[in-house]
Amino acid sequence: MLISIRDLHRIYQVGAEQVHALNGVSLEIAQNEYVAIMGPSGSGKSTLMNILGCLDTPTKGSYRLKDVEISSLADDDLARIRNREIGFVFQTFNLLPRADALHNVELPLVYAGLKHEERRQRAREALQTVGLQDRMKHRPNELSGGQRQRVAIARALVNHPSIILADEPTGNLDTATGEEIMAAFSEIWRQGNTVILVTHEADIAAHARRVVRMRDGHIESDVASPQRPATAPAGSA
Amino acid sequence: MNLRESVGIALGALRANKLRSFLTLLGTIIGVGAVIFVLSVVEGLNRYVSDKILSAGSNVFWIDKYGLITNEEEFENADKRPDITLDDVDFVRLGMRHAALVVAGGDATVPVRHGNKVARNVPLHGRGAGYDVVEDYAIDKGRHLSDLDDRRRQAVCVVGPEVVDEVFPGLDPIGRQLRVGEQTFEIVGVTKAKGKLLGQTQDRFVTVPVHSFQKYWRSQFSFYMFIKSVDQASLPLAEQEARNLMRARRHLPPGRPDNFGLSTADTYLELYRTLTGGVFALTVGVAAIALLVGGIVIMNIMLVSVTERTREIGVRKALGARRRDVLTQFLVEATTLSLSGGLTGVVAGVAFALLVSLFTPLPAAVSLPSLFLGVGMSCLVGVFFGSYPAWRASRLDPIEALRYE
Repeated sequence: MLISIRDLHRIYQVGAEQVHALNGVSLEIAQNEYVAIMGPSGSGKSTLMNILGCLDTPTKGSYRLKDVEISSLADDDLARIRNREIGFVFQTFNLLPRADALHNVELPLVYAGLKHEERRQRAREALQTVGLQDRMKHRPNELSGGQRQRVAIARALVNHPSIILADEPTGNLDTATGEEIMAAFSEIWRQGNTVILVTHEADIAAHARRVVRMRDGHIESDVASPQRPATAPAGSA
Repeated sequence: MNLRESVGIALGALRANKLRSFLTLLGTIIGVGAVIFVLSVVEGLNRYVSDKILSAGSNVFWIDKYGLITNEEEFENADKRPDITLDDVDFVRLGMRHAALVVAGGDATVPVRHGNKVARNVPLHGRGAGYDVVEDYAIDKGRHLSDLDDRRRQAVCVVGPEVVDEVFPGLDPIGRQLRVGEQTFEIVGVTKAKGKLLGQTQDRFVTVPVHSFQKYWRSQFSFYMFIKSVDQASLPLAEQEARNLMRARRHLPPGRPDNFGLSTADTYLELYRTLTGGVFALTVGVAAIALLVGGIVIMNIMLVSVTERTREIGVRKALGARRRDVLTQFLVEATTLSLSGGLTGVVAGVAFALLVSLFTPLPAAVSLPSLFLGVGMSCLVGVFFGSYPAWRASRLDPIEALRYE
């Protein structure tokens, strides 16, 4: 299993009160799955995404990524795993405003310690795969929303991570552009990547081959996408 | 690492808002500039002093009525001492075994005149033979005053080249008559120009034999003496010997302090060092305050920058930046800022020192170590005051930073 989660709890201390954002979640995701995590706000899907993305660690329970136990790792080790295993795509793109597209895509490779020429080369290739080879020297404010999100996708792909983790990737885009971006994710998945999509929109989640619904900190349902046949076996929680 | 990127971000921010950058870095610029300026002037003075004061008559010390006076109380006490007479000088000369020369001196200020040309407030030096050695004067035209001139109390004089320029413009002064005060003297020699010492000319004077000086001006002031030891090694011996002779002549019992002053070039050098040391300490204080203020401003700007770029820090962390990567980035940015200020300060300080040495009597010499000191100081300011903002940036929680609006 690529991802193996057992009885995961995440408790936040808000003032004197304890909030159980995750309350015993178990989940397995295999290589080259295309999973959507759905749920209303407050369902715990963002918390789960943060833990899956190694930005946060669980209060209790086990998270194994490629057979490495993540839940007990220190800050710098988490940073290293984010760098190598996770490719983030955010709702608000989160590109560096003062850097051009090429430089933005290069950034994960900077922290991976690659040499300048190799970084350039790989960033160019990544931008080509998302069709932005003639926008490399443009800054984010010179690009459309869809182009910005494609730069972000190139950035997520550039270090060949194990998981592409997309958090409401079409939330700031119009419907047509959103469809374009979703097509890009499907293509990425078809090339053999594992894609995890976090969204509250059913028609976005419908692009995935498996939908995990969350409510009140636990998994409500976990089914193969009803519209299309799943190519990967739907794991059971 | 992303060193180039961090430097680029810092320089880009500096370029983007030139006025704000200037104000941000003003403290650092002033601090570093002041240190460079003062170091340059002190260095210049040092060279000057060692060149001029110390070389002027080596192994020479002085006995006079007052010695080195640094406050009014000392002056009032010293003023009650007996005057030094030419007999005292002869007594010391006869008694000294470690002295190569003992030369009497007496000073006044007079107007000098030739025809309708007048020079006022000219220093008048009464000097015994050997003055040329102890005061390091070389003759340009004519001759020096001789022992015979002195013994015969001749009305002859040697003048400095500036007196010639003022009173005999375009004429050969040798053999001409010069009215010195109310007396008429014949000029027998002109000295070579020595230039200025700390803005004071050394070439505007009239020197007459010391006994002629006594005869015509009957100085109510005290005389003094220059004593040159045989060599460097015998200088302390000669000093002790001269002191003992003076004390014996004045019947001072052991335990009573000297009632005359004995000073060496070292005495003056020490005073000079105290003075420049004071100036230096003051400047270091001012520079330290300027650098402190400059550092706090840089810290403030960096804290603002960290807050403004919280999201960027979150993105970088999400993409794999470790704490130390973020820390390094902001430290490099802070140091780039302060270093820009430091380099500007170095340039400003050097330029100011050169201007001052061009247009005022203060000499200035830029020394390489002081430049490194300036650059090093500004680096330290950046690292020191940048470390807290950088530490804050490195500790940001990536989830909260990504959510920051």
